[in-house]
Amino acid sequence: ISSSTSQFDLRTYWTTLIEEINQKLDESIPISYPEKIYEAMRYTALDKAAKRAPPVMCITACELFGGHRTAAFPTACALEMVHAASLIHDDLPCMDNDQVRRGHAANHVVYGEDMAILAGDALFPLGFSHIVSHTPREIVPETRVLKVIAEIARTVGSTGMVAGEFLDLEGGQNAVDFIQEKKFGELAECSAVCGGILAGANEEEIQRLRRYGKAVGILYQVVDDILKEKAKSDGEIKRRGKSYVSVYGLDKAKEVAEDLRAQARKELDTFESYGEKVIPLYSFVDYAADRGFSVGG
Amino acid sequence: TTNTTTGATTFNFEEYMIGKAKSVHKALDMAVTVKHPEKIHEAMRYSLLAGGKRVRPVLCIAACELVGGDESTAMAAACAVEMIHTMSLIHDDLPCMDNDDLRRGKPTNHKVFGEDVAVLAGDSLLAFAFEHLVAATPTGEVSPEKIVRAIGELARVIGAEGLVAGQVVDIDSEGAVDVDLEQLEFIHIHKTAKLLEGSVVLGAILGGGSDEEVEKLRKFATGVGLLFQVVDDILDVTKSSEELGKTAGKDLVADKVTFPKLMGIEKSREYAGKLIKDAKEQLKEFDQEKAKPLIALADYIAYRQN
Repeated sequence: ISSSTSQFDLRTYWTTLIEEINQKLDESIPISYPEKIYEAMRYTALDKAAKRAPPVMCITACELFGGHRTAAFPTACALEMVHAASLIHDDLPCMDNDQVRRGHAANHVVYGEDMAILAGDALFPLGFSHIVSHTPREIVPETRVLKVIAEIARTVGSTGMVAGEFLDLEGGQNAVDFIQEKKFGELAECSAVCGGILAGANEEEIQRLRRYGKAVGILYQVVDDILKEKAKSDGEIKRRGKSYVSVYGLDKAKEVAEDLRAQARKELDTFESYGEKVIPLYSFVDYAADRGFSVGG
Repeated sequence: TTNTTTGATTFNFEEYMIGKAKSVHKALDMAVTVKHPEKIHEAMRYSLLAGGKRVRPVLCIAACELVGGDESTAMAAACAVEMIHTMSLIHDDLPCMDNDDLRRGKPTNHKVFGEDVAVLAGDSLLAFAFEHLVAATPTGEVSPEKIVRAIGELARVIGAEGLVAGQVVDIDSEGAVDVDLEQLEFIHIHKTAKLLEGSVVLGAILGGGSDEEVEKLRKFATGVGLLFQVVDDILDVTKSSEELGKTAGKDLVADKVTFPKLMGIEKSREYAGKLIKDAKEQLKEFDQEKAKPLIALADYIAYRQN
């Protein structure tokens, strides 16, 4: 597998998918009256600088089990909508108070705090209604649609991403493991799991995807922390929030990253019977660890 | 006490409301438990269990029972609409929105838990409404297809086409001098009536109502929702603070556009009369015995004194 992984061109695979996802997202949030709210929703959800990692993970996991891309696109878009909603709310002055997101002014800086609250409040349900109205019923049974909706709702809710953000704001430094898991591991986990559900993966396969997705999500963030720490010693980027590096130090963080990489790859072992379709999932692990290139605007 | 005496049996509305509100409260109490992180869940419960008349969940259950379902068929949906309602109140009260310190006589969520927690508690209630609807609707009675349809309806009525649209236009119209009747109706239809519509429609779908029944009940709920606001506006002008249990003349002071301001008190009363008549018209072809709770709810909204 490792030799074919190196031949697989993740960058082309990813950027091609991003284009398709961006187009579908654009169609899924048409502007109508009152225009302002749709513009605020589109501003963050359609940000060209977004990597679209959750939708890409969802689509790839769906295709692994022989599911068709068209089965996954509505859920892929929904994942990006709820992702955008939580970013908008996290950036608010009463939360992380971030003025900049992905190199652009944060949503509330452009549209005001009231509109930012409402744009988030509207993007969450739009995600759910988009899944319901656009998932092709002839290939995806209702029971799977329900599972996907429950999975996403749990992920963004009080025991998932909300819990991570809350402890990032109010929890002690020792909460960092929980924060990384909930804030960054949950959405990757959910994205992989939703792809599997849509394609009809069995319970054991779903559990593997769950562990795989979580490990990749946390790995990405731990490596991010390591890279930012390195950049900081060059003297520019200021850190906010709680990170592995600030709590455990650089060496321990690197160790954790190696463990996560091994864990994620191990979960994929049993999927090798699916042949080449598992290769993109391996390459996500390597990307999260090595950052061989950059995607998104 | 409103006793509607039609036909052989007497329908005790007050008893009905109190009974249903109790079951709803119990179901909400069990649905949202305190788990890690505790503060978020305590904040969710603080506003969710603060009381209130539970008009939306009762509408949901009443619609379900009208088309042949049981209370238990619609209870998860009834809880879900109340979670959404509570979430919109929590976010509405925030300093960057209406900046209210009190809600139903108690400090607002962000006053007790802080703004960050209030935003997150609202987001959590929104998400949990959908999770609960999927997890707690009895699958033995309701097909997956119906639950999916209910989710689609709920998501649509609370988003940018529904509740949020009403809030946006409401914010935009504050202090504006040229708000007309069409815009005022847009605000209330979206801000208030859409969630009432969702409540009734979810109950009707899950209870097994036909498409025709669902659409009749949808019209009923939209009319009742608008009626709710017209009556609210009239009461604000005509009643004292003591009678209302809240500050009277608030709309006038806040320079808010209201129905009495745009069409006068008399015409507003006439309009309310037309709305209640049209709403009840939608219920005519249903079993009149079973329709009593919804008729009484509409009457209650039309003729309440506070």
